[in-house]
Amino acid sequence: MVSRRRVLAGLAASSLLPSAGWASVGAPAFLSAARAPDGQFVLTGLTETGDISFTIPLPARGHAAAAQPTRAEAVAFARRPGTFALALDCRDGTVLARLNAPEGRHFYGHGAFSPDGTQLFTTENDYEAGLGVIGVWDVAAGYKRLGEVSSGGIGPHEMRLMPDGQSLVVANGGIETHPDMGRAKLNIPTMAPNLTYLDFSGAIVETASLPVAFHKNSIRHLALHSDGTVALAMQWQGAEGAAPPLLGLHRRGGPITLLAAPERLHGALDGYAGSVAISGDGREVAITSPRGGVVHVFDLASGTFLRGVELEDVCGIGSRAAGFFFTTGTGAVGALGDSVRQQPVQFDNHLVPIGT
Amino acid sequence: MLKSFALVASFALVAPAFAQEAVRVDQGALVEAAVAQHILPGFEALATTTQALSAAAETECSPTSEPLRAAFHTAFDAWMGVSHLRFGPTEVDERAFGLAFWPDTKGFTPKALGRLIADEDPVIADATDFQTVSVAGRGFFALEQLLYDPRISTLGAADYHCALVRRVAADIALSSGAIHTDWVNGFATLLTEPSEAGSYETDAESLQVIYKALDSGLQFDAEVRLGRPLGSFDKPRPTRAEARRSGRSLRNVTVSTAALAELAHILSSESDTIRADYSTAFALIQEQATDLQNDPVFAGVKEVQGRFRVEILQQYINRARGITTLELGPALGVSAGFNALDGD
Repeated sequence: MVSRRRVLAGLAASSLLPSAGWASVGAPAFLSAARAPDGQFVLTGLTETGDISFTIPLPARGHAAAAQPTRAEAVAFARRPGTFALALDCRDGTVLARLNAPEGRHFYGHGAFSPDGTQLFTTENDYEAGLGVIGVWDVAAGYKRLGEVSSGGIGPHEMRLMPDGQSLVVANGGIETHPDMGRAKLNIPTMAPNLTYLDFSGAIVETASLPVAFHKNSIRHLALHSDGTVALAMQWQGAEGAAPPLLGLHRRGGPITLLAAPERLHGALDGYAGSVAISGDGREVAITSPRGGVVHVFDLASGTFLRGVELEDVCGIGSRAAGFFFTTGTGAVGALGDSVRQQPVQFDNHLVPIGT
Repeated sequence: MLKSFALVASFALVAPAFAQEAVRVDQGALVEAAVAQHILPGFEALATTTQALSAAAETECSPTSEPLRAAFHTAFDAWMGVSHLRFGPTEVDERAFGLAFWPDTKGFTPKALGRLIADEDPVIADATDFQTVSVAGRGFFALEQLLYDPRISTLGAADYHCALVRRVAADIALSSGAIHTDWVNGFATLLTEPSEAGSYETDAESLQVIYKALDSGLQFDAEVRLGRPLGSFDKPRPTRAEARRSGRSLRNVTVSTAALAELAHILSSESDTIRADYSTAFALIQEQATDLQNDPVFAGVKEVQGRFRVEILQQYINRARGITTLELGPALGVSAGFNALDGD
């Protein structure tokens, strides 16, 4: 029998506010880190119409976040090489738990929940060994660390739950860094990025790599479609002007196919794709380049380049039922090609979808 | 359609704090000055001194040869004068990494040299063949180990060791010469005469790549050349200092920051305020480096006092970097946005 004291403790831990689902915080469609005009770093919830549904202060600059699938709870990650992440009740900003990276590890800024929300997975750097790991955390136990597994490469960055609900896909960017040396890249000549699929036990079920000539194309960010298609956005670390494709598509069992706009337009990306999304209907895939100030949209089935949309400092991109939702570092937010609004914050790199 | 709408919207609504200021400098003139006064002389010096290095190795290949070691240091200084200029000709065929594979976090250089020597690999007989060898087995850091590392300087048969020293030195000269030739025969013009057909379309793009070289050069000196031996307070890493075997860890930072100061002064030549700020910042760097003269390989990072002195040098370099990103970038009109700058 559960004691009364334990019931109360449980209530306190899950906050005393009623209705814990995402509807309770204005039904945001995305999470985004941002910087407010006074310099305060925050985590925001954004609705499909570009309204900010909640704002929670963060102690330092955020990067991405992970949305708990069953309740209005998010884990906000510090910007790389941060060593903390905060589990937040998005109804009132209560810090439910502070996740500290273990000794010798730091977070990369991305993570993913298991489908039932009981486990959180985080991309991390075992920096003395120069190897990537995935940290595993027990959510119900107040985000207690359960252990870690190999990420299957160096520099794991974004990681997503696959639509099968049983595996994770990790973008191993390939770049070795060490927090003693800031964000300096230590192994460019020998870097070898890959896409690694892991089951929840940490077993590597598949690895996909780029052609050898593209070994300096760091795979950083991912987007998924419900049919299991993975879109990957890359950042070129080789000679500028070499300009290889920065968008790839992968389906389990196949090779990575590469997509690029016609040469002159592709050059505008400046070798750098910041984020990627697949439209909800699965027809289009888009990458953003804040350096080039442009979004490139492709037909997913044929890989054909469809259009470029210029937006200053654009980086965040997410899927709508048809088309895309975007944010920029100048505070613009909207439906790509349809509407744009101005919010008084600078949106940070990524839009994190809620409920997918 | 959206493009025009978005532009209108951002002009109408963007908060003043995020707006870009108008650019008032002659971007083209600054590019020309940087190329003529800093970049071309730097690569010419690299080509000349590495030729001399190769010649010295032909004359005397013994690791203890004083003329060879002197030529090594002179050529390494020249590399430090341009090691921040990582674009264009240095990036063709991995030339820059083939000249300087560092940091070597996984110990590839001693492994590559050990393998060549153990196998007496005939790949060293031919200049072109040798360029297929891993970048870890080539360049200044390979030569440094061949001349100064207690184990590798005496490894293997003397004849092969001698031939390897000569080949590595000749390869350094070959790559350096190729970089200089490419700069003179076309790449400099691509920068100074930007066009839609070239690598750079506008003066702003040309200026931005040079500006980035200044910023990342300062970053590398502070975060890697000093950050790597500093490690953390609990775990200092003196044996990870750059070029410690040849005793030139501090010298690398001194020569590199002197070159960066030269570039900073050229790029700030149209602003008295920024130029004065740089003068102060680089004078402090020089002073602090002088203060460290008795610790040329940063061995002192293990002790509080020695560590403190290296940390101060690091702070001064970061201060110069702050001037670069906060003052120079906006003045030149090459500052990146909130996301564009973040790079992750």
